Amino acid sequence: MIPLQAVTLTDRFLELLGLDPEAAGPLLVFGVSILAAGLVGTFVLLNTAVAGPYAKRKITAAFTDRISVNRIGPAGIGTIVVDAMRLLSKELIIPEGADRPAYDLAPLILAGSALLGFAVIPMGSSIQVADPEIGLAYVFAVASIASLGLLMAGYSSNNKYSFLGGLRAVAQNIAYEIPLVLTGVSVVIFAGTLRLSEIVAAQQGTLFAIGPVAVPNWFAFVNPFAFALFMIANLAEVGRNPFDIPEAPTELVAGYQTEYSSVYFVLFYLGEFIHIFLGGAIITTLFLGGPAGPVLPGIVWFTIKIWSVFLFTQWARSAVPRFRIDQLIDLGWKVLLVLALANLLLTAVIVGVIA
Amino acid sequence: MSLQDRTPAEPDVGVTEEGLDYDELAALLDGRVLDREEHVNAEGFVIRPDEVQAVLSTLKDEAGFDHCSAVTAQEYDDRFESIYHLKKFEDPTQELSVIVPTSKDNPVSESAAPVYDTADWHEREAYDLVGINYEGHPDLRRILLPETWQGHPLSERYNQTQPQIVPLREHANPLEEDHRGDGEDADTMFVNIGPHHPATHGVLHVKTVLDGEQIVDLDPDIGYLHRCEEQMCEQGTYRHQIMPYPDRWDYTPGGLLNEWAYARAAEDLADIDVPEYAQVIRTMGAELTRIAAHMLAVGTFGLDLYGDFTVIFMYAIRDREVVQNLLEDLTGQRLMFNYFRLGGVAWDLPEPREEYLDKVREFTAEIPDRLEEYHNLISGNEIFQMRTVDTGILPPETAKSYGATGPVARGSGIDYDLRRDDPYGYYDELDWDVITEDGCDNYARLLVRLKEVEQSARIIEQCADLLEDWPEDDRTIQSNVPRTLRPDPDKEIYRAVEGAKGELGIYMRSDGTDKPARFKIRSPCFSNLQTLPVMSEGEYIPDMVASLGSLDIVLGEVDR
Repeated sequence: MIPLQAVTLTDRFLELLGLDPEAAGPLLVFGVSILAAGLVGTFVLLNTAVAGPYAKRKITAAFTDRISVNRIGPAGIGTIVVDAMRLLSKELIIPEGADRPAYDLAPLILAGSALLGFAVIPMGSSIQVADPEIGLAYVFAVASIASLGLLMAGYSSNNKYSFLGGLRAVAQNIAYEIPLVLTGVSVVIFAGTLRLSEIVAAQQGTLFAIGPVAVPNWFAFVNPFAFALFMIANLAEVGRNPFDIPEAPTELVAGYQTEYSSVYFVLFYLGEFIHIFLGGAIITTLFLGGPAGPVLPGIVWFTIKIWSVFLFTQWARSAVPRFRIDQLIDLGWKVLLVLALANLLLTAVIVGVIA
Repeated sequence: MSLQDRTPAEPDVGVTEEGLDYDELAALLDGRVLDREEHVNAEGFVIRPDEVQAVLSTLKDEAGFDHCSAVTAQEYDDRFESIYHLKKFEDPTQELSVIVPTSKDNPVSESAAPVYDTADWHEREAYDLVGINYEGHPDLRRILLPETWQGHPLSERYNQTQPQIVPLREHANPLEEDHRGDGEDADTMFVNIGPHHPATHGVLHVKTVLDGEQIVDLDPDIGYLHRCEEQMCEQGTYRHQIMPYPDRWDYTPGGLLNEWAYARAAEDLADIDVPEYAQVIRTMGAELTRIAAHMLAVGTFGLDLYGDFTVIFMYAIRDREVVQNLLEDLTGQRLMFNYFRLGGVAWDLPEPREEYLDKVREFTAEIPDRLEEYHNLISGNEIFQMRTVDTGILPPETAKSYGATGPVARGSGIDYDLRRDDPYGYYDELDWDVITEDGCDNYARLLVRLKEVEQSARIIEQCADLLEDWPEDDRTIQSNVPRTLRPDPDKEIYRAVEGAKGELGIYMRSDGTDKPARFKIRSPCFSNLQTLPVMSEGEYIPDMVASLGSLDIVLGEVDR
């Protein structure tokens, strides 16, 4: 099987500099990798910047029969700049009795952990910072660090709402990460590899054709059940409705981020959106054929796909009521985990019989 | 069921065809009645302050007075007085006042809280504002004013000109208290929910003790929005100056419904007739207001369960906007209507009349489709049902004891609606139904509101038809009312209407001047909010938030 992306972004940069990737020294590779990581990070943050202060409002407004931002710039797009200025220029209030290093680190961990995940995502047009053999395991691992950030934020804020929010976040993430990973493993069984570029490559080709319409060999079509499971577990993982229990504005004010303001709040806000996009990127890679698509370049398709997942989260946010904490944990352990195991078993049997 | 064992088969002592036979009731009390007073629509039995529990429990168990509407306290030149306004849920026209005078120097009276749960808060209010002490009260603290307040503002000895400033450091600081790690309860956590919290619908402060996510103990703390509404009304003249105030009690908007409460009480007090035509306009306006209020209740309930600004809230506001426009056309205002006058309404329907009535009909015709949408969106949603069915349980007997009325009572299967049971306005001429649900849970209360919107639309439609066909020469909007009203001295009345949240009653005592000597508001939200601990203790925090939303309280009306 020939991988779709034999070269990573670092290799491409080295080639552009006229160097042989095989022969370059480790220091040079490191430097160029930083450059590549910066490019990918900027791309992700750009998406987040559009999504956070602007697209989120516009999408929710469309669902809820409102107009939303429309004052600054065409269709209100200038709001992004204004909002960024507004949030960053606010006073940073640190509550009395806050557990300082933890309180300061929590927002960084949350935003950072999600950004790290993008390092191994193949975004098409050879944009992929690294392509390790354990790609999928790496993504799940770094995404899970966010739980630590949430717990730190909740515990160090010296606020009872934050504390409850932090505890809820951890309980929820544990309950949903297991079905999430198990469902991801079923894809690994299909593809036979953890390397993300190879998982994408495994989804090339046509599953079946209805007349002129060819249905691609995406795992979303091969195993729609796993796809649905993954979408649900992912909503819980990124803490969106109906699973936005750690924040639950009407119950816990703002949950773990109650005491955060100014730059720290921006980091939290940003971190959440990067997490949504990372969830979208994982779904795109595992189930939607990665950057594959006709005519347009891979990166464009990749962007369209992660935004579709984002749209789905916002739709759920507008239309679905929130679960209660005990119901949510019930659903995670008693329903999703069982279904994920069944799916895994079924996939294993099918793959075993066919192959 | 010890309560029911003691209850005779038919607790209907003194019930006759013509109304209550008060002699028979007095005989039942066996010489405990010291004196009898004549109030406008009920007789008042004067009893000794140390026999309150005995008298009230006899009346409750043997005569069937299961509804203690309100407790009014006031000070006379020679005595303090607590009045218990009793009614029956079966038939609220059977009313009885129990008057408990106490001496000036030692105002101590036996508490009625062991008989009627609702007396708990009402007596706390009487203690707080007037200064009567209730013996045997489970928890006699101030309720509206801060703990450190000096004196009782409605008593005569109180210095009204001395300003009182209660700084936070001297007042019980709600943020300081913390139950972390003290003794046996070390594994519980104390949390202040409110006074500023997204789910408290205003400035309600709920002192909550949590065991994990579950509520062990809960104590609503009110009074943050106390604006002396009763006293303001006591300083206005009956004829014109009081009418603008009711709009400010329940501003969701309960406006016209609140105005009707005052209009009805004052008109009965001063024997004023209201032309039929004005009654139809009142009925239509009141029901439009009810739809607006219920829409907001449903919308914010959705907000409590969904979080953030979601579809339900915006859809409810969108539909409410239509009502607001109709009310604006009718009254000239969108929030503080001030449209009713004693003896009628301020002005006739807007011209051109047909066009306005067509707009009204257009709105009512759309209601079934709109409700279908709400049912699809919320009541039909499975997660929503998981959250609301069988949470916030309020059994009917408890609801009655706490004096719960309105959609809260009807959601517990209590068939009690003053529009039908104690008819006023034009309601008894129209064809509509009282909605009850037997669920006793948050879901049932939501369903009651949604279905009541449908019934209100039916009423409005019939009113619109009536108004269209009303004979041109009979369109009198106000009867002839004297410029200055001076009801006879010592005339007392307690009258209630069915507000958006329940029984909204007003007690007034006249002293022969053009201003009421005592003005007391029986707020439905005040009584309904008392049930929150019953619904929420042992449940999860989210259920408490949902229960609070399903009670649909407006703090402006709770605190007055």
